[in-house]
Amino acid sequence: MTDEQRTNRIFTDSRKKQLLSIAVVLLVFVFCWEMYKVVWQALGWIRPVRPDDTTMPHTWDMVIELFRPVRRGGQLLIIDLTTRSFFTLREALAGFVLGGLFGFSLSVVFVRSRLLERAFMPYVVASQTIPIIAIAPMVVVWGGRADLPQWMAVAVISAYLTFFPVAINTLRGLRSPDPNAMELMRSYAASPNEILWKVQVPAALPYIFTALKVSATASIIGALIGELPAGFGEGLGRALLTFSSQFGARSEKLYATVIVTAIVGIIFVGTVIFIEKRVIKQRRLDEHELIGRAV
Amino acid sequence: MSSSPSVVEASGVGKVFGSGTAAVTALTGIDLSIAPGEFISLIGPSGCGKSTLLRLIGDLTGPTSGQLTINGKSPEEARLDRDYGIVFQKATLLDWRTVTKNVELPLEIMNQSERDGRAARMLDLVQLRDFAEHYPWQLSGGMQQRVAIARALVFEPSLLLMDEPFGALDEMTRELMQQEVLRIWGETNTTVVFVTHSIPEAVFLSTRVVVMSARPGRISSVIETTLPHPRDVETRESPEFYARVTEVREALRQGEST
Repeated sequence: MTDEQRTNRIFTDSRKKQLLSIAVVLLVFVFCWEMYKVVWQALGWIRPVRPDDTTMPHTWDMVIELFRPVRRGGQLLIIDLTTRSFFTLREALAGFVLGGLFGFSLSVVFVRSRLLERAFMPYVVASQTIPIIAIAPMVVVWGGRADLPQWMAVAVISAYLTFFPVAINTLRGLRSPDPNAMELMRSYAASPNEILWKVQVPAALPYIFTALKVSATASIIGALIGELPAGFGEGLGRALLTFSSQFGARSEKLYATVIVTAIVGIIFVGTVIFIEKRVIKQRRLDEHELIGRAV
Repeated sequence: MSSSPSVVEASGVGKVFGSGTAAVTALTGIDLSIAPGEFISLIGPSGCGKSTLLRLIGDLTGPTSGQLTINGKSPEEARLDRDYGIVFQKATLLDWRTVTKNVELPLEIMNQSERDGRAARMLDLVQLRDFAEHYPWQLSGGMQQRVAIARALVFEPSLLLMDEPFGALDEMTRELMQQEVLRIWGETNTTVVFVTHSIPEAVFLSTRVVVMSARPGRISSVIETTLPHPRDVETRESPEFYARVTEVREALRQGEST
């Protein structure tokens, strides 16, 4: 066996173990859910959650619901949700890219000017304490007046949530190089841009990817919430809203939608991790990569 | 350019950090002239300003008084002309670059061509050719420091500044590295300014040892080592070597008591 084969073997072995452990955890969740129903029903308990099939449907019913028509004569729920997923994912991805670029640019400005950092940082922090629910209608209305497609307005709302982790983490990453490395660049009479691209940005990459993983999920939340005031029915956000209003009567659809939304999030974060491993594969195992593995 | 043949010419150089009551005098009244091809060690206790003096020469900080010229120019002009290479106590290699790419870094920034050949020649010089495609974290501390030396010399600066470069290495590696540096110095005609707090290291390497003392940082004496070249293990065991080591030690003690 060559070294490479051995490495590959170890890799696939650990991959198998990982998939297996994920499956085991899923089974444990399902088991706990179903056991709760059985035990609570047998004992007649109703707290904290009433174990009836309306509030707590069987896990298999949630899955079966995916393969039933959305409404009489309509398409299957899973087809409907898949279409919606792509719609929401487009908004989230646009917001992710927009917010990522904005957050990165902001961190570059801040790392070059302590004064600008001090002046603007309180507002950057304040921006994140304003609930997105308050911002979303404003952006949608402004976007509408500016004749932008509505999905773009939603992307802006999504970007509003994503730029912050990127800005904060990138700033930290850009400041992470050893002071000697910066002096070394000074001794070469390197320009600020050369220092940025040859030392600071490569050093910041692990920090940036940590932020992008957070931003990937935040961008989906932003897109879901942004869809609500936008008043169009094509995304997952609208489906969540509609199905949650029917929750008291039939809850399987909402649970099914939640599952699909979670899968969309996992795929998005998984893609970021996939890219991360290819971009910073030659680095020593450090804490950032360990976080990457844990996600 | 002035007609001065000195690589480093300092007269009355002083450095004060802070101001008012919080002011700390790091260096005062430094007069020093370093000729091309010399190997100068700066030695002294902590707080004597030896690293500060090195950083003044490299224009990593500015003097608050006196005149300092490097190759007849201001330190800033010399830095912008890339007159010196520098090696720190930490190798400070970029983790994401291979050994070769690390050595090529200054050439990239200086837009110099024929990087491959020059990096390879430097790796030959520091005897690391077999590790050209390794990453820094795959190397031992001594090897990393040799890469740092190769990187400092790859653009052929006339001056090499070394700030306690072997301070973090074990004694065995340290002696090997000293031997290496002397060999490289012999092969390249580079002028070296070497900061250390090891007396035997200073004596073994230098043509002159500049002894400094603290509070305020100043030069208390300059000792010519006069040991014959090439220097090797035999040198370390010779009576002259011990005599010079003793001389430097006494100078250090005297510097402290005045």
